[in-house]
Order: sequence, then C-alpha cells, then structure tokens
Amino acid sequence: MGLSGALARLAVRATRVLVVEVPGHWATRMEVEHQLLRRGWRPAWTPADADVLAVCGVPGPELSELVDRLWEQMPGPRVRADITSPGTVGSALDAAAALLLDTPHHRTDAQERAQEPEIPEDADHGGHGGMGHGGMDHGEMDHGEMDHGGHGGMDHSGHGGMDHGGMDHGEMDHGGHGGMDHSGHGGMDHGGMDHGEMDHGGHGGMDHSGHGGMDMAPGGIALAGGGEDRDGLEMDVLHLPLGPVLPFWPAGLVLRCSLQGDVVVDAEASVVDGAGAGGPGPGPAPAAVVWCDQVMALLALAGVEDAAACARRARDALLCGDEDAARDAVERLDRTVRRSWLLRSSLRGVLLLDRAGLERHGLPGHCRGDAHDRLLSRVERIRAEAGGTEPTPAEDGGVPWAVVPDLVTGLELASVRLAVASLDLDPHPAVQAVGHG
Amino acid sequence: MAESVVTTVPGGWAVLAGILLCGLAFFAVALDAALSARAQGTGGGWGAPLGRAARLLRQRRRSTVAADTLLWRIGGAGMLVGAFLMIAVIPLGEWTLADLDVGVVWFNTVDVMVWALVWLAGWGANSAHGLVGGYRFLAHGVAYELPLMFALVAPAIAAGSLSVGEVAAAQDGVWFVVWMPVAFLVFLVGVTGFSVWGPFAPALAADIGGGVLAELSGVDRLVLQAGRYLFLTAGAAFSVPLFLGGGAGPVLPGWAWVLVKSVLVLAVLVWLRRRIPLLRPDRFMEIGWVVLLPAAVLQDLVVSLVVVWKG
Repeated sequence: MGLSGALARLAVRATRVLVVEVPGHWATRMEVEHQLLRRGWRPAWTPADADVLAVCGVPGPELSELVDRLWEQMPGPRVRADITSPGTVGSALDAAAALLLDTPHHRTDAQERAQEPEIPEDADHGGHGGMGHGGMDHGEMDHGEMDHGGHGGMDHSGHGGMDHGGMDHGEMDHGGHGGMDHSGHGGMDHGGMDHGEMDHGGHGGMDHSGHGGMDMAPGGIALAGGGEDRDGLEMDVLHLPLGPVLPFWPAGLVLRCSLQGDVVVDAEASVVDGAGAGGPGPGPAPAAVVWCDQVMALLALAGVEDAAACARRARDALLCGDEDAARDAVERLDRTVRRSWLLRSSLRGVLLLDRAGLERHGLPGHCRGDAHDRLLSRVERIRAEAGGTEPTPAEDGGVPWAVVPDLVTGLELASVRLAVASLDLDPHPAVQAVGHG
Repeated sequence: MAESVVTTVPGGWAVLAGILLCGLAFFAVALDAALSARAQGTGGGWGAPLGRAARLLRQRRRSTVAADTLLWRIGGAGMLVGAFLMIAVIPLGEWTLADLDVGVVWFNTVDVMVWALVWLAGWGANSAHGLVGGYRFLAHGVAYELPLMFALVAPAIAAGSLSVGEVAAAQDGVWFVVWMPVAFLVFLVGVTGFSVWGPFAPALAADIGGGVLAELSGVDRLVLQAGRYLFLTAGAAFSVPLFLGGGAGPVLPGWAWVLVKSVLVLAVLVWLRRRIPLLRPDRFMEIGWVVLLPAAVLQDLVVSLVVVWKG
C-alpha cells in the first residue's frame, strides 16, 4: 500500500477539475478557478480528463441531468464537489482532495459502476462519448422530441448494445408511423442493422430518404445525414451541440450546430433550464470583472497562455479589490495584446461587423469591427475602469444570445468559438433572459 | 561509405539513449510547467511532470460507444514509439545506434508517420471533436511538411551525404546554422509541427474540448502526451547534428555538447510557446505555402550554388 499511497499523494498534486457554472453563479466559479490554481491544480476541459467535478451553484433539472451524465463519463478516481457559495470553495476543495486519496473508496466506486447492467460492456468506463457529443454535451439530446408513442409493438429492450444517448432522435420523425408494426421485427438487431438496406418502399407516405438517423452504425449511433454544402455538393451533416459545459464558453448557453466538415451551416441557440431557473445567484458581476473574464476566454481560445493568465490575474485582483495589483496586471495585459502581431493575424477578420451588419442584427456600437478590434476596445474599457481615470463610459448594452446563430452560421468551428468569445454576450443568459422575454 | 565518421554501438545502448530522451523530455515538461506556474502567479511547478504522470497512471482507462479501439490505441502508442525510432540515427558525439546512409530520410519518414498517428487518435474515439482535431492536424501537415522536407535537404546538399554523422562532420569549419539560417528556422517550425505542440496544437485546443485528447484518459492520455514531448525533444536533438555542429565545442566531450545544445534548443522552444498564439490551420496554410516553402527552396538554391562554386 505504501507505493500506491505515494502515487495517490503525488497524483492529487496535479488534480484536474471540471468546473460547471450554473448560470448566475459566476462568483463561485471564479473563486474555484482562483483556488485550484493556487493549489497547483488545473482546470479540465472534458470529463475524460477530470478528477473532480465542481458544480458551482444549484443546477436546475436540465443541467442536473447533464451533470449526472458528465459524472458518468469521468474515468475515476472521481470526486464530485457541489459548491453553493464562494465562501465554501476552500473547504469543498479540501474535502475533494481528501476523498481523492481514499483508494479503497474509488475501487468500490469502480466496481459498482462496472456492474450496472444497462451500461454496455464496452463502455463500462462511462463512455457515452458518441459521435457528435465530444463527451461533453450529452445533456443536449432532446429526448422530449422523440415520439415513440405509436410504436407500441417495438421492442426496445432488445437493443442491448445500443446507446440511445448517442442518437439524434430529433431528426427522426416517427410521429406519422402510428400504424407501423415494429413488433414484427422481433429478431432484429437494431444495434448493427443498416436500415438503409431495408425496403421501406411499401410504407406509402413514409420518407426515409432524408433521415440519415435510420442508418445505424454498430453501437446504435445515427450516421450523419446528407445536405448541400457551400459549393452545392452533397456533404454529410453532423449535429454537434456546443455548451453548456465547454471551456471558455458563456455559462448556460447552448448552441446546437449543424456541421458540414467543421463549418457550421445552421445553428440554434437556447439556454439551459430556460430563463431564470438557475436559482438565486449573487446578482450581476461588476462590469470590469466580466470584461476581464471575457478577454481571458478569448485569449485562452486564441492560445496565448501568458496573456490569458494576465487577464485572469487582473480579474481576480479586481474581484478581491486589490486595485494596485489589478492596475499592474491590466497594464501588462494591454501591452501584451497590443504588441502581438501574431495574435492580430489570428483574430483579424473574425466576425467582421460593419455599420450595416450591426444594424441588421440590432447590435450595440461597441461590437463594430472584427474580433481583434473588439478585444482592443474591451481592454481599453477595462483600463479606464481599473485606472479610475475616466468615468465609466455609458454602456450601450450587451449582445443578446438569441442573435448568436445568425452571426455564426457559415463560420468554421474555431472561428465560431473566437466570434462568440469576442462578443460582449450577456454573461449569464439565464438570468438576463428574463429581461429579453 | 568506405569508412564511417561515427562508431555504431551495440543495440543494448538503445536503453541509455531512451533514458536520455526521456530525461530531456522531462526537462521540457518541467520547464513548461514552471513557466506556466510563474505566469499564473503560483509557485513551484518543477515537480509537475511527476504529479501529472502519477495522476494519469492512477486514472482508469475509458472507452466510448463504438470506438475504433485498435486504431485509437495505435494512434496514441505510436506517438511514443515514433520518437524513439527517430533518435536511433542521432549521433551522440562519436557514437550512434544506427549509422544509416539515409539517416536524414529516416528522420523524415518517422515524422511523416505522425500524420497517420494523430489522425487515427482523433478518429478512433468516435467523437466529433476528436475528428475535427485530427483533420486540423492534417491541414497543418500539408502546410509544414513540404517546407520541412526542403529544409532537411539543405544540410544534406552541403555535406554531400544523407548520413547524419557525415552531415555533423561536415561542419568542422562553420556550423550550418550560420549560412543556412532559413533552413534552421523552417526546420524548427516543422519540429513543433510534427510534435503537435505549442502553436501547432489547434488539434488539441480548448475550443474543441481538447480535440484529439477529448476522450482520452489514464495511461492512453499519458502515452500520447508523452509522445508529443518526446517528439519535440527528438526533433530538437536532431537539429544539433544537422545545423549546430553536432558534438563540436571546446573543453567538454562531444556527447556532452550534443546534450547541452539539445537542452538549449528545447528551452528556447518551450519559452517561445507561451508568447505565440495557436496558428490556425486555415491561416497557416497561406504562410506555409507562400512564405516558408519558397524561402526553403531559395535556401536550397543558395546552398547548392555555394557547394558548386566551392567545387
């Protein structure tokens, strides 16, 4: 036990934490980020890489389900920390570290998981990371849209290896198949079946041609459907939800993208748990803190780690009221961002909005230009705020999340992420959405 | 070659070579962690590689629904193996494990293998993010690989040989980096490229949840991550016989100079990484084909003219 104990103690020093922010609980999330860095821990980007699942705030029903799925996907040893307020972050992380060391507990946990009968054998590590889900967005599958009501005779219990989680049932229209007798397919293995080979011609009005969802790959994951791409050529369409748990992504925002290759051809935005279901948060964050947070996200996505670290330190200093440290960090951030021509070349031209574009989407004036212009102007505003040299410029409002799909359609995935991070999106859509109706 | 300029040592020494490679890679990870800790304003960091490795060794492996497990694991483990294959032809002072007549081509062959490995690692998980990551790497490969090949040609032309030992020996007067700096820079770009590291890591970036790494955990993640750093180390070490005079240097023996130069190249690469943003594949494509490729070809032309002129 000596060796495994030493290994565990060594391992805990490099713990990775998957942080889930319930919309509105920005203060808890920022405190968690701050404290885990101080311990030498790092944030995890996906459940596959996480040891601790830190849920900041009390999630609503939709997010709760998602968090449970994320928990299922964590490889283990795994610890869940529910943190309801910034004040309890330290003790929650201490408890998580202590529990991580408890090897017998994790052994039991692992054995109990493996024995769950409904989990396919090849996925006993909680692998629900089916195509299109990247292991993080499982809460987004809308089973509510599934209409299996008319399929009384269908034997779903026979789908042993099938993971319904990976299927995009939203694409399947079973509504009109009321009279179809699926029970006759008794011996069929839906998991490995290629429905495309079946002769459905006899089913009158049924149109399966557009429903790639009926082509099943082994494992029961729907194959991608087809569609015309930008050049008018047939290309597979894949449905990939972005958010709500994604690194450097606005809390609670969900963007369901239809992808051809890595180009978003269609998108639909929503907010997890609808408007205001996140429970009472601590209220809106100070403007400069929010801007620092957004700048950090944009810089981290662009991959300039030193500058992103600088923005985070500025944010944390502003949050705890350390004005000198904040001013220093902001000045350094400003210099770094201005000097880097590589950063400029990386952000140049991303979501370029001219005056007409702003009017068409109903966006405020400070969104003008491309991602780099918006980055510079936001750093400028942070400087004014932190330095206290000028009165706060009149804020002409953030960007409502509802316009995001219009803005990102036609961009490739990397640009979508940079574009969303470059906008002054209402930081906590679920809370703000009350005002938007 | 009638007589070789380097001594080929028995295969058993490969263990020592492997240990040296791991040691240098450990240094690279530790330096990176220390710089990261300093930027975040937290202390320590030098011991981080141990903690990270221990964490991943303790973590359970996982799989995904309908994963192409065989290809997935080949992609990850191949990265680990490839780096060791690469150092077989790097002479440590006067000793080498394999004195191939075509050592430079061997190096190139192994680095092209990375194309398949990274893509397979992205494909195998059956995850959209991993697949996007895999294709991002291929797009980078199309942009960095040809310039890298032409950069490798320059020292070979000057030395009149594709044997790495001969190339190192041909620099007893003046190091190749002095009169072929463009080839050296393009070579370093290529090294970071095939290590899927630093500015060439959009395949593993945060915007797609870690891309190729998104579904990997435990020891599978460890071998892929270690493989990247081993490749970076092997690439940096290869620049020593190719451009930096091999074991040439005062006082210290040849093998020590090779190590010192390798460490310096590694340290510069790790330090630079923190200041350079990710090079987006679509934008780097233009740089690769419009700037790097012509520059490398011009460098080859200059080197060829000099060689012909010197007779």
